[in-house]
Amino acid sequence: MNAFRVLAAEAFRDGLRRRLAFVVAITLLLGLAGAQSCTNLGGGLSFNGETLDPHVVGGFVAPLLFSMQALTVLSIAGLLAADLLARPLAEGSALLWLARPVSRGAWAGARLAGALGVTFAAGALLLGGTGAMLVLRQGVSIGPALAAAAATALGSVVVASLAMTASLALGRSAVTLLVVIALFFVVAANATGFAIALLGSDMQMGSILGPLDRYGPPLFRAILAAVVAWNPHVEAGDVYAASMLRLGMWAGASVALLVAVFRRREIES
Amino acid sequence: MYALELASATKRYGRRHALAQVDLAVPQGTSVGLLGANGAGKTTALRLLLGFVRPTRGAARLRGCDPFDPKARRGVGYLPERLRLPAAMTLERFLRVHAALAGLRGADVAREIEAVTETTGVRDRLHEPVDGLSKGLAQRAGFAQALLGKPEVLLLDEPTSGLDPLGVRDARGWIEAARARGATVLVSSHQLSEVERTCDHVAILREGRLVASGALETLVQPGETLEDVFVRAVRPS
Repeated sequence: MNAFRVLAAEAFRDGLRRRLAFVVAITLLLGLAGAQSCTNLGGGLSFNGETLDPHVVGGFVAPLLFSMQALTVLSIAGLLAADLLARPLAEGSALLWLARPVSRGAWAGARLAGALGVTFAAGALLLGGTGAMLVLRQGVSIGPALAAAAATALGSVVVASLAMTASLALGRSAVTLLVVIALFFVVAANATGFAIALLGSDMQMGSILGPLDRYGPPLFRAILAAVVAWNPHVEAGDVYAASMLRLGMWAGASVALLVAVFRRREIES
Repeated sequence: MYALELASATKRYGRRHALAQVDLAVPQGTSVGLLGANGAGKTTALRLLLGFVRPTRGAARLRGCDPFDPKARRGVGYLPERLRLPAAMTLERFLRVHAALAGLRGADVAREIEAVTETTGVRDRLHEPVDGLSKGLAQRAGFAQALLGKPEVLLLDEPTSGLDPLGVRDARGWIEAARARGATVLVSSHQLSEVERTCDHVAILREGRLVASGALETLVQPGETLEDVFVRAVRPS
């Protein structure tokens, strides 16, 4: 446990030292600037000649804005994880760590924890800042923001673990591209599936999006189910609880997969 | 129980045999020079002993255990051939992390770091980033981490690589000091003269096969040098 703590702390520092941390910082600034402008809508909005209640506007703006920020956090998790395990292996510095009495699982887990530590810190700033702006300016409640942040944290574990596992076989650029494409498909599948469920429609999704929404990690579905609570016209029922349960199972399976793959990996650098 | 053991160890990469049926048993307190031409399998043997790779057939044991088991690597110091130190980390931080992983706690950490950096001559570099050190100093830093906690087993892959003549002499002293306190030392090297000075046993690999092994005084006949033995062993007949 002590070795894991030492290695995880070192991986966290390593994550902050990488040039990727600069990219994360820029992303955070852009995200917060976007939130500042989206929550600072001046004057009244009118629709068909009627001025809309700011709370109604908030019911649409808040879910959209917060879910986009949550997606940014998931992307950061993938981006960091694509680098943090594979790079010391490629550079050769991993040899020194792995020659110590440290299990493969502990080392891979510590690198994952380091990537997640940086992701959670970035997520706390981005989602915390955005949530605060929404609560203070749009008058929405804090509950959905916290629920969506929890879904984002669990989703980050899935994205980071899978990206790290992929990085054991693919280069960083390939893994980054894979993360972007996979997130795009999951978002499309989850958003469509969620909309169908809300409408109570019997519409069927295609052969890729359908199974992806039904069996894949409900990364975006859990976030959507949390933030739609801000819209008084939408009732999501128990979608959030069910999505979190499935996301939790995916998180456990993803971490187990990473450890299993890394245990079989031959260290050749 | 042997400190290091390869039992009919074979390691294949595709069709190529990096090691073929190698038997090597190193008792505790022995210092062995692992010799061979480039690509003979020396580094593969070390990787098997450290659990970095698994044998295709046969077994590797480190202090009597499967080297994949973290417990086997307790009290083991390792210096790799191509030493790559972590980026943007001071030498002190680097050694602190390794000291913690080696099981040192509390005041022992600072005491050990002070001792090994004093011994290896990098004490005045403690606050410098390790990836900015010159090749020779980086090798000394690598030695410092390998010597942390007075390991019972030292695995050194080309330990004098990048060291100047003074550094080579110092490294010899560090290895001899480890031997004097009863550590088992395995040195993989091309520097035959250094092996002759620091090891009491040698094992010679040719194309993945162990072609000669034993105590220096039995392998090297009167009037011969280790170089003669080496050339005879590795040159195809």
